[in-house]
This record gives sequence, structure tokens and C-alpha cells, in this order.
Amino acid sequence: MALLSLLVRRLLHAAGLLVAVVCLNFALIHLAPGDPAQVIAGEMGGANAQILAQLRAAYHLDQSFADQLWIYLAHVARGDLGRSYYFNAPVAGLIAARVPATLLLVGTAIVWAVAAGTLLGIAAARRPDGLVSHLITVLSLVGFSAPVFWTGILLILLFASALPIFPVEGMHNIAELGRLGWWGGMLDVLYHLVLPATTLGLLYLAQYSRLARASMLEALGADYVRTARAKGLPEWLVVYKHALRNAILPVVTIVGLQFSQIFSGAVLVETVFDWPGLGRLAYDSILRRDSPTILGILLFSALIVIAVNLLTDIVYRLVDPRIRSGP
Amino acid sequence: MSLATPGAEPAGAPAIASEPAAFADAWRMFCANRAAVAGLAVLLGIVAMTVIGPLVYRVDPFAIVGAPLLSPGAAGAPLGTDYLGRDILAGIIGGGRASLIVGASAAALTMLIGITIGALAGFYGGWVDQLLMRVTEFFQVLPPLLMAMALVTLFSPSLATVAVAIGIVSWTAAARLTRAEFMRIRNLEYVQAARSIGAPNRRLIWRVILPNALPPLIVSATLTVGIAILFESGLSFLGLGDPNVMSWGLMIGNNRAYMLDAWWTATIPGIAIFLTVLSISLIGDGLNEALNPRLRRR
Amino acid sequence: MAEFSRRDFIALSSALALAPSVGAAAAQPQQSGGTVIVAFGAGTPRHLNPAVQSGVATAVPGTQIFASPLRYDANWQAQPYLAKSWEVAKNGLAVTLHLVDDAVFHDGRPMTSADVAYSILAIKKDHPFKDMFAPVASVDTPDPHTAIIRLAHRHPAILLALSPALCPILPKHYFDDGTDLKINPKNSKPIGCGPFKLAEFVPASHITLERFDKFFITGRPRLDRIILQIIDDETALVIGMEQRQTHVQFFASEPRDIDRLSKQPHLAVTDQGYAGVGPINWLEFNELKKPLDDKRVRQAIAYALDRDFVIKNLLLGEARAATGPIHPESPFYTADVDHYALDLDNANRLLDAAGLKRDADGTRFGLTVDYIPGPSVQQQGVAQYLRPQLKKIGIDVTVRAAPDFPTWAQRVSSWDFDMSMDIVFNWGDPVIGVDRTYLSSNIRKGVIWSNTQNYRNPRVDQLLAAAATEIDPAKRKAQYVEFQKIVVGDAPIAYVNAVPYHTIYDKGLGNVPTTIWGSMSPLDEFYWEKKPA
Repeated sequence: MALLSLLVRRLLHAAGLLVAVVCLNFALIHLAPGDPAQVIAGEMGGANAQILAQLRAAYHLDQSFADQLWIYLAHVARGDLGRSYYFNAPVAGLIAARVPATLLLVGTAIVWAVAAGTLLGIAAARRPDGLVSHLITVLSLVGFSAPVFWTGILLILLFASALPIFPVEGMHNIAELGRLGWWGGMLDVLYHLVLPATTLGLLYLAQYSRLARASMLEALGADYVRTARAKGLPEWLVVYKHALRNAILPVVTIVGLQFSQIFSGAVLVETVFDWPGLGRLAYDSILRRDSPTILGILLFSALIVIAVNLLTDIVYRLVDPRIRSGP
Repeated sequence: MSLATPGAEPAGAPAIASEPAAFADAWRMFCANRAAVAGLAVLLGIVAMTVIGPLVYRVDPFAIVGAPLLSPGAAGAPLGTDYLGRDILAGIIGGGRASLIVGASAAALTMLIGITIGALAGFYGGWVDQLLMRVTEFFQVLPPLLMAMALVTLFSPSLATVAVAIGIVSWTAAARLTRAEFMRIRNLEYVQAARSIGAPNRRLIWRVILPNALPPLIVSATLTVGIAILFESGLSFLGLGDPNVMSWGLMIGNNRAYMLDAWWTATIPGIAIFLTVLSISLIGDGLNEALNPRLRRR
Repeated sequence: MAEFSRRDFIALSSALALAPSVGAAAAQPQQSGGTVIVAFGAGTPRHLNPAVQSGVATAVPGTQIFASPLRYDANWQAQPYLAKSWEVAKNGLAVTLHLVDDAVFHDGRPMTSADVAYSILAIKKDHPFKDMFAPVASVDTPDPHTAIIRLAHRHPAILLALSPALCPILPKHYFDDGTDLKINPKNSKPIGCGPFKLAEFVPASHITLERFDKFFITGRPRLDRIILQIIDDETALVIGMEQRQTHVQFFASEPRDIDRLSKQPHLAVTDQGYAGVGPINWLEFNELKKPLDDKRVRQAIAYALDRDFVIKNLLLGEARAATGPIHPESPFYTADVDHYALDLDNANRLLDAAGLKRDADGTRFGLTVDYIPGPSVQQQGVAQYLRPQLKKIGIDVTVRAAPDFPTWAQRVSSWDFDMSMDIVFNWGDPVIGVDRTYLSSNIRKGVIWSNTQNYRNPRVDQLLAAAATEIDPAKRKAQYVEFQKIVVGDAPIAYVNAVPYHTIYDKGLGNVPTTIWGSMSPLDEFYWEKKPA
């Protein structure tokens, strides 16, 4: 089946890409100036030559670059991402512990931005000179131009002093941990999620609403829509059934393409709101020169981006059979 | 389609070969767009402030002028002082340099790499295209901010390192755009005509096709400057910019811990970034409408 | 609003908890129960075993999980802990510890002298502070409840080295498994015989410690749970304390926030509890770099640095001045040294005498200054302040910021610096935390917080060696007094301030830790006198 062979080819391609990314990042981090053993020793509080030698042996730092790379690749193939210099705990475990928080944040931000953006775009397309359309223009300009960490800070200022409705940091209310039960705990997290997800989503709402408006305008002007209207179909049916699919497709495509950037936005938002996710871990690890963790996160995010691109590609082909996989 | 997002559809209609008339037309359209003109005015104002400001307001942004966290207007500091007692207005004036210089040079680097790769891929096609597309894909998969953060810490932060790092992680969108334009244009009649009279490939690429591919690229370049400024401010905010150069992002990052007591210290520099990028976006939008014939037809 | 109903919930549950004990309060106030949430700003610790890791982030949770032979009160007097009594031999070469016989580890196994011997030797081998247990030749264990520490020479610091943060007693049966203790994963899942056991350690989020019911001191600990909430963001720390989501903050050092929180009606502030740590903020000079090899140049910079301005303006008056290598709250401290009070004329004169003339625009020479990365006012603030200030005496200062701590540590430890701000702790006895900065034998390239200044003074080496083995307290103090005078005169370092650590706490809390080690000590007496409504 054509689709299956396509899938296999794509998967092989993705795997090759991933290996190339891992090699590049490994080279980058290990060829940079600085001695990791001293980094670890410094984190311990000081060391002597003997301790330094022991640390070097423990982390394979006394071997050649090529050997270290080979060892690393072999481990990665088994799912072992090494041990963090700082925590001395498996990197895979550290990442796994933080992934849900980031997925929650990024997922929520994307979902509400896409939903709100599409609805706003549709409303604006129906009345191209109306209030909603102008609102979208303004909103998209503001959302794009304001640095995401600054909007976060503004929201914190607003909700910390003026209107203390939402919590301004963290993911849980630690005091209640263990007392709230599953449902209560869930609500607590959602409560903490409001501000960070709003901040991150605003950034994307800007683009999605504009995109949706433009594609809707185009779609609404197309022949088959005019035909449907001529046939006497009710307006809401025309808009929501026929035009919507065309409007939302470009938005979904953009989300897929931008996924790597969305992750970057998450780093800033997680830092501002003290959200314990992967972005924060990446930032902290970079500051600590915790190379294994940095490598692990880069690998993981590349993996996610490749997977999302693959998925988007497949979905697109399934949805739009007009596209054939050509040379 | 405004606010050209990376990978969005490029301008579709055949370009007009006669350049002077087209550019005059475009300029007229641009000037008719009030928002775009306002953006241009604001940007010019900000650039002027950056260049002339330090000569007029002779306060070193790093000098301690008074007690920390004074409100705007106190002790001769029109915008107040930051957490070390440094003049915020001086910081705004001085900080513009870092943002604009890094923004412009990072965007220049981005476009340089992106256009070169995209042009070669789009023009030659075949295995050249395949190879260059693999390279593009490779860079596309790397998370931009994380990679830039890693690059900057590895090679010690300075304005140059930051600009280069941003350039390295941002060029793929420009490459894809250029490639699409080149693939579209290379088969058009006037290109075939030039080829048939024996013009060498180099001339075809840089003298014939590229000028006609310029309109969407100009818009992209403009928006890239805005993106680069945001990128630089993000890195400075995280403490990964050049610490010996005052920058707006750095001011926000440094004063973040004090925002409960002195909200202006973290808010005002953000307004500066916002206005700069906003004016650039308006200009970009205006250019898009002026140079994109498809929209013009509406 | 959910915020309101959360408070209701707390009110209800605490009312229920208090009700039955009201009548019993007069009779048996031993246990008060409840949870204390600590606003923990020291960052996520690498792991929880202080035996192989120095620093506050590991010590605060570590001293709850592990117990130690001795503990200290607020007057530097040793108190019994795992050692119910102890003797130091007359010749000073042995310390006999008589251990309690009912201490058990969190897994139920009894603590014996074998564990004490194992722990002390492990710390000697793997802890970054070499001088603590270096003179320990062996630890004899004649019976399960007696440990005799045999010393190669007299070592008065040994008693302070047996403190909770420096000598956690590890269960041999758990940790001695053939793995290098420095990288043993069990360091993140430790068991000890301290008042609290580890329930949960979630990096960047929290550390939950639960009451250990079989703790060997009956009626202790008084709390059911201590949660260390790891908060990296300064604003979040403040908001948490203001909104009563956290109840106590240890090691608070941002003067502005201390000020703000002290005005809250439900909070109180104390600066007690940090004498043992002895933290000093200073400017260190690299004596290998010209012209810093000339004492006059260093002294000139010290005279130009206006300590009072820094303390008053940058630190809002919240810090004490530091005038020498020993912290002002240490029993060995003397104020009888040159304080290098602001004197620009003298500074200029010294530089002229050193032959460093000013050129056309008034500059004599240039220097770089580094600082520990982070927005701390004590570090970055003072470094930045040096720019305009040292310009007044003709020195052109360039502030060199490192993007992260390892880069800074790398630069300073490999002597790739001119001047650097630094914060160094005394750690109780000068042998532990002070010697390392001034002994010429501790000039070790690549090791941070060694004698990175390359300071050499044979008399100082002599004094420190003598004081390290001097048992007579009066003689010892005299030696350290002379040591301070010489060092301050030689000025390898310009001392700025004692780091203004404070404890900010809910007024309902009782027995807030104010011993010399503060919160780096078992919080078994800490309790809710009056739980929040």
C-alpha cells in the first residue's frame, strides 16, 4: 500500500534525522571549553585532585571524544539518556517527571488559541469591516509584538496585588497536597494553569485568528460556497460545515510547523510563572552546565517535533486526498 | 495574507518585470496605509532616540545615580531608578542599541543564510535541492530558544555571539520561502528567455530571479527583525545576553524580583520592546499589502 | 473564590485538630502536630546527603533526616544528641563518644558505633571540606554504643565538626554497598536516624519530610510534617509568605523583601541562627595579576570601597559590616583591625606611592571584576558599584559577568580573574571554613573556594597551623586575633558585609531555630504554638 511504504520511508528518514541531531548536539556541548568534572566538583562544594579523577572515571570523561559519542549513542538506543551531573539521577527520569507539566501547559495554550482564534477568525470573515475584525487586527499585533515574558509579568502584577483571584506561581498549592484527593488536586492544578496558559496562548491567538480570518475569507468567496448558498442552504450550515474545514486546515498546519517554537515560548512562560516543566529544567540545566540533561532535553524536543511533523503530514494526506506523494 | 507566518503560502501571481513603476506604485500604496506610516514614524523615532539620546541625556546607564527603586520623577530620574539605583531612562536610551543592533544583524544573517540556501535549492532542484532540504529540515527540528541558549553559554555571551546564535537558529523559514519563490519563478517566460540567450546560472539567480522574488522576502526580512529583537530580549531576560551592555530584556530580568515594590522597573522596558516590535510589524504589514499583488486585487 | 474556600478548609481542619488538645494542653504539650511549609529559596539540592555535599540546600533537609553526635545551642555550647555524653582526652588525641542506645534508623535497624565509624571515615574521604576530619586516624568501636575518635594530632575543631550539618550519621548497612558514595543514587532516597524521614523529593517542586515515630527523643519531633517548598522566584517567595501559603522562610537575604515582610502583621523576623554558618560577602584579589601583587594597590581599593554606602544603600542597612576573615558573630572575632573606612585621599596616595601614575584621562590602569551570577544585590550590585567608585581613584573597572555558576567557578579557580566578588562561609570553626582561604598550602588550581588569591604569608601559615592544634581557648583566640590583624593588613581581600540572613516566620510558630546552626539543625522542637485560624 502506497501509504504504508510512505510511512516506512518517513520513519527511517525521521530516525536518521534524530541521530544527526544527537551527534551535533553532543559534539557542540562536549567540544565547548570547560571541564565537566570541575563543574560537578564545584557543585559539590569544592574538591581535590583525587575526587576529580574519581568523577572523571565515573562519567567516562577520561575517554576520547569518539568513544564518548559512541557510548552515548549506544545508551540512547537502549533508552538510557545518561545521568545528570547535578542530580546524579537518570536523565530520562528527570525528563519524564517534567513532561506532563509542560504538555499540560503547551497543550492547553494551543487548544484555546486554536479554538478562540478560529472562532474569532470566522466571525471576522463574515463581517470583514466589523468590530471583531478590527479587534483581531489589534489583538494580533499586540500578541505578536509584546514579549511573552513581559505579558506574563503584567498578568502577575495584576493578579498578585490588584485582583488576587488566580495563583501567580507554581503548579500546586503545596499545603493541600495529599489532602485534596484526585479531583481536588486536578482542580488545583487547573487553577494554577490559568495564568501561564493564557500568557502562552495569547502569543499564538494573534497568529491563528489572523490566519483563520484570511482563509475563511478566501473559502467564503469560493465557487462551491456560492453554489451552496444558491441552493438555499442555511447560512450557518454553509459557514460551519463547508468553510470551516478549509479555514482550520492552515491553522493546524501552522501549529505543526511551529511546534519547535511553541516549546521555546514555554521556556519563558515556565520561568516567569515558576511552572515545574521541561522548559524550566532546560534553563536550569544550561545554567548548571548539566550537559547530559541538556542533551536529553534537546533530543526529546527534536523527537517531539519530528513526530508532530510526521503526524501532521499523514493527517494532511489523509484529509486532503488531492495531494499525492510526488518526487 | 498579512503577518506572513513561516511556511505560509507565498505571493501567488506572476511578478511584473518592470521594476521602477512597480516600486513607485508600492510606495504609494504604503503611504496610503496610515498604520504603516505611523509604524515607520515610531521606528524612526526610536532609532533617533538610540543614536542621539546618549548625546543629549548624558547619564551612563550603569552609573548609580541614587537610591534603588525610586519612583519616576524622584531625584532627577524621570523614569525612576532600578534595583541598583541606576537611571531607568538612561537604560531605555542605551538599551535600544543592543536591541536594534542585534535585531538588525541577526535578521541580516538569517536572511543571508536563508536566501542563499533557498535560492540554490529552488534554482537547481534535483540532488542539490534534496541535500539542502535535508539540511534545512535538520535545523528546523532544533528548538530555537534552547539551541540559542546553549550556543550563547558555550561560547560566552556578547552582542556578537547572541546575534550569530539567533541567526543560526532562525534561517529555515527564509530558506523555505526563497526556495518556493525560486521554484515558481524559474519556469516563467522571461527567465526561459534569459536562459536561451546564454545567461550563466549565477546571473540568472542573482540578477534575474532574485529581484523578482524580493517582495515577499522584503516582508519576511522586516518581520524577522522584529522576531530577532524579541529573541534577543528573551535571552537577555534569562540572563544570557551580553551583561556589559544595557538591554531592555536585561532590565526586565534584573528587576523582576522587585516588581511587587516597583512595578515600573520591569514594566517600562517592556513597553519599549513592545513599541519597537509593533512599529516593525506595522511596517511589515504595510509592505506586505503594498508589494503583494494578490491582496491588491481585493 | 476558591482561595477563600481553601482557607475555610484549613480553618476547619485545624479547629478539629486543636479541639481535643485544648484540655490536654496544660498537661502534655509535647506534641503539637500540624504541618509547617517552608519557603525554600536555596534551590533544588543535588541530593539529600550532607556527608558528601556542602551547602545550605542539602543541609536543611539533610539535618532533619540524619542525626549527628552533637548539636549546638545559641552560645556555641555543644549539646548531647546521638552522643549522650563525651570526653576529650587530656592529650587531645582522642574523643570518646558515649552513644544513646535507643536510636534507630528509619528502617527500624538500630544505630551503633559501627555506623558512626563508617560515617566519619566516609566524610573524611569524600566531603569537599578536607580539614574537618583529616586528622582522624581511626575510629575505634569497643562496643556498640561507644566510639573513640583517634586523632593524629590535637584538633579542637573536631567538636564543631560533629555538628548536624557536617557529620550526618549514615546507616552503614544502607550506604556501604560498594558504590562510590559521591555518586550513590541512594543519596536522593536517604534514610537516617533523624527526627523526620523523607516522604517525597520532587526536584524544583518540594521535599516532604514526615515525622519519624521512633525518633529516639520521646515526644519529638513536635510537628507531623515539614514541607520544603522549592521556590526559585523571589517574588513568589514574598507572595507565598504574605498570603500565608508558606509559614517560614530561612536564609532570607534580600533586604527589600525582608523589610516588606517584616511589616506584615502575621510575620516576625529574626537575624539569629546564622552565627555558625558565618557567611561573609567580600571582594577577593588575584595576587598573581599585576598590579594587584602590590599590597598598596589592594589597600587602596579597600579604602575606596565605601562599605557604609553599600550597606546603607544597597542593603538597606540590613547587614552588619564584615571587617576581616572571621565572621563578627564568631567567638574568635576581633574588631581591633583597620576597618579601611572610606578614604579616597589615602587611596590615591597609596597608588601614587606604588608608582601607578594617572594618564591623560585620569586612568592609572584597568581591572576586571567578576561576581557569582544571579541578580543578587550583594554580588552584582557591589560589582557594578565598583565601576564609578574606583574611577575616582583612577582605576577603570570592567564588570565581567559569567552566564552561569560553573563558568564563574572555573574562572576564579583557574586564576583567570583580577578581582571577584564572592560569598564564603566560615562553617563554625575557623579550621573548617577559614583556613582554606589563607593557607599557602591550599593554593590549588582548579579548586573553587581554595586560596584562589595566591596569598602567601609564612606567619599566617604558622599561626593557623598552631591555632588548629591549640586546645587552650585563650591561647587559641589570641592566635586568631593576630591572624586577623595580619590578614587585614595584607589585604588579599576587601571585606564588605556579613550576609544578612534572616528567618521570617509566622508568629504562631514556637521554638524557631536560633542556635548557631539555625535551620541546618534538627527541627525537632519546632512547633505550632498557635495554628493559623
